[in-house]
Amino acid sequence: MAKRMIESKTAIGDLLAEGFGRSFWLFLLFAAVSGFVCYQVKGSVAFEYALSRDLNLLASTLPRIVAAVSIAGLIWAILPTDKLTQYIGQDRGIKSLIVTMVVSILTPGGPSAAYPLLAMLGAAGADRGVLVTYITGWSMLGLQRILVWDIPFMGAEFSITRFLVCLPLPIIAGLIARKIPIKLSLNEPDNRARGQ
Amino acid sequence: MGSALIGFYSLLFILLVYTYLRKDGSLTKGLNRAAEQIIKLVPRMLCALIAAGFIAQLMPSELIASFLGAESGAKGIVIAAMTGMLIPAGPVVVFTLAAIFAHAGASVQSLIVFITSWSIFAGHRIIIFELPLLGKSFLKLRLLSAGLTPILAGIFAIGLQLIFAKS
Repeated sequence: MAKRMIESKTAIGDLLAEGFGRSFWLFLLFAAVSGFVCYQVKGSVAFEYALSRDLNLLASTLPRIVAAVSIAGLIWAILPTDKLTQYIGQDRGIKSLIVTMVVSILTPGGPSAAYPLLAMLGAAGADRGVLVTYITGWSMLGLQRILVWDIPFMGAEFSITRFLVCLPLPIIAGLIARKIPIKLSLNEPDNRARGQ
Repeated sequence: MGSALIGFYSLLFILLVYTYLRKDGSLTKGLNRAAEQIIKLVPRMLCALIAAGFIAQLMPSELIASFLGAESGAKGIVIAAMTGMLIPAGPVVVFTLAAIFAHAGASVQSLIVFITSWSIFAGHRIIIFELPLLGKSFLKLRLLSAGLTPILAGIFAIGLQLIFAKS
């Protein structure tokens, strides 16, 4: 019990170290420098205008981000990534590309989740169209990115427009990939990739 | 904006109830992960949003508008696709830039192309994940198949706008 507590304490410590790590201070410094330059170049009125608009934006963004990240986290807990791949079919029609795209959109997590999964699909013998559709769909339309980044930064209307506009693209990319006759030699997935 | 927030929290509520009823630990697992992500992301995200506001003041908006604005047309789409390609960094940087461009008067089409192009090319992902896990030949295949999709996104976006303008 005590050991578990210590473990969870160091886990929180690590997490805080990551959240407030070097890149955080760089971003903070960047914000401070840009604020200073703005004050010097454009004067106090522009500075105050930008700051008050930013603070308003933050106030409206924070609840959205908290909700979006919680939604993404819960979806991640319901949909184990390894089970998703079962739904990716082996047939070579357009249907397999559509299913692949849906799975790619729902794949939770960042690149450290999606790429090992792609490598596993490749090792399992999925065709090149499926592979290209999967990673294109994940990177363009991944639900988690849309919830966490697109909507808070760009607004819901923009995000929906971008989603609709991009919806056919992973399938088009997969269809093109099936026509490209280059030799595909995938790296052997290492144990780390298999373990995830 | 208000309706998006209501939608978010309704969905969150449904998911909370659903994961609670499953009684398989997915509620705690999901919320733990969410807390983790919030601690990791939010501090940097907030700094980025503040910096974006200041930089938007400093940027020559006429210049951005002339490159990426509604009048820039096909040129704007190509410029947006190339700018998106050149950013080898994660979403914090890209969405900050996109917000700056939006403040400065970039058109919806250019912004769609910019974000889409980054999502395809993101150089850091290629180096950290794609090359080690999949290899060069897959990268080549993927770029040949998906390389022009950001431009297609721009064309579709213009099409969508024309449809809505008519109706």
